[in-house]
Amino acid sequence: MNLNEKKDIRILAFESSCDETSTSVVKNGSEIESLVVATQIKSHARFGGVVPEVASRHHIEVITQITREALAEAGCTWQDIDAIAVTYGPGLVGALLIGINAAKAASMATGIPLIAVDHIMGHISAGQLADTIAYPALALQVSGGHTEIVLLKDPTHFEIVGDTRDDAAGEAYDKIGRVLGVNYPAGKTIDQWAHQGKDTFNFPRAMIDEDNYDFSFSGLKSAFINTCHHADQLGQKLDKYDLAASFQAAVVDVLAAKTIRAIKQYQPKTFIMGGGVAANLGLRERMEEEIKNLAQPPKVVLPPLKLCGDNAAMIGAAAYNLYKEGKFAGLDLDADPSLELPYAADYQ
Amino acid sequence: MKILSISTATSDLSVALNDDEQIISETVEPNKRNHSVDLDPDIDRLLQEQGLSLKDIDRFAVAIGPGSYTGLRVGLTTAKMFASILGKDLVGISTLQALAQNFAGQEALVVPALDARNQNFFAGAYRQAEAVIPDGHYALSELLDQLKDQGDKKFIFLGSNFSKYMEMIKDQLADRELIFASGDENLLHAGQVGRLAAKAAPIDPDQAVPNYLRRTQAEYDWHKKTGQAFAPDSEYVEEV
Repeated sequence: MNLNEKKDIRILAFESSCDETSTSVVKNGSEIESLVVATQIKSHARFGGVVPEVASRHHIEVITQITREALAEAGCTWQDIDAIAVTYGPGLVGALLIGINAAKAASMATGIPLIAVDHIMGHISAGQLADTIAYPALALQVSGGHTEIVLLKDPTHFEIVGDTRDDAAGEAYDKIGRVLGVNYPAGKTIDQWAHQGKDTFNFPRAMIDEDNYDFSFSGLKSAFINTCHHADQLGQKLDKYDLAASFQAAVVDVLAAKTIRAIKQYQPKTFIMGGGVAANLGLRERMEEEIKNLAQPPKVVLPPLKLCGDNAAMIGAAAYNLYKEGKFAGLDLDADPSLELPYAADYQ
Repeated sequence: MKILSISTATSDLSVALNDDEQIISETVEPNKRNHSVDLDPDIDRLLQEQGLSLKDIDRFAVAIGPGSYTGLRVGLTTAKMFASILGKDLVGISTLQALAQNFAGQEALVVPALDARNQNFFAGAYRQAEAVIPDGHYALSELLDQLKDQGDKKFIFLGSNFSKYMEMIKDQLADRELIFASGDENLLHAGQVGRLAAKAAPIDPDQAVPNYLRRTQAEYDWHKKTGQAFAPDSEYVEEV
């Protein structure tokens, strides 16, 4: 064996912050050797949204099996693992605690060091699994809980430069989905319908001209609901495809406009999209199109669709960057359900 | 057989090391707020003091319920990961049975209970470690009705918040000798979990879930609204 050969670093990662229990082995922060995702969507669909106690109960049911499966799928034993990583926030506290306690127990039982990962850093680091990231980079993080523009100074220093003032974009999708009779999670169906309709309703594009990178989606949500209720009262039937297209156009217009302005200001070398709504085809197409037209376009990294939702591979990717900096966690690691990335100094 | 036992079912955090039924070392920390932070360091300290590592443990035991839902999951997740990774036995012990052990050997019906709010209790009744009334979620009145039917002359109540309803209990069981445990007599000891675990049958770590004794309110509401039956939990989770 060549002594100068760099040793591969393998991380076993856990993710259980919401309604997916996931484990993964990731090599060198970029290569997925295994990824197991146990989803609870069927269960929460009964209630029209995630019920935290139900989520926690499902997480503990599968945690030992999926740990074994991740190792087996990767062809690994514990001896091949260099670090154990886990999401410690943000998320549902009871749900986070399953991954955290599993990871800590695994670390104690094997003597392998533990790394605590911010879930949002994880989503953004999913980009590493798709392509190499040049820094500084800029990320648009859009999910059911977050809508943020994040500046990545280096692999472990992320700062929020734009944030939602109320609802997250994904949350708005789920809420208007309910009005259209689309089951939670609604994003995928609304996206499909949007591609079959036209933007005829002209819903508001909140804050689009304001001189900041913040968002607001609650006004859009209300406008949508009022339009539907009003038509109901008059006994009118509105075209669901046009409604979806109009709603999606309003969301995508604002996300694209603000993100493009942030790219112009921060001049990142790479642009990354992360989070569940990053799987939205309308948004992906629009961002690619607009960035192509820039004078100095950054490289665009869009994680594959299956890595946009919650998964442990993205946690393994982010953990690798922390591993290289020696940032390990102790056995007293706790969940931080409202963990937030720091805001940039110039954030207003 | 070395048994490491964990109890995170109540506000008391306890870990113990047993050699079969013999308690070698135990820590009990009453009224702790965040078991997830303290559990692993407590285990680590206990093992170090005994010059042992997790690999030396033959059996992992845990108070498996009833109790605080989050607390139960913290303890069981830890125990089942240990057992699964190290290939050792996992044993789940009733929280109430372990509590009743605080009065082992007493000529009395021991009634351990955990407050489930609105005059409801997770409770059972034990005579010489034998369950006489099965662990369950009972309205206090319902529990007292069942206790009245028992022939015992002496009842010992322990656990949480029985004292709030002392008058009501005395009223219903006027002809019996009633003892209400005080102070430390109400603590849940991992050492007792370990003693019971010495003789209990191991369970499969993959299948082990807390014995909550209650479904979630969301599930009851859904069931009431739709009339649909509850499917096994495994049908609601799928690998994708």
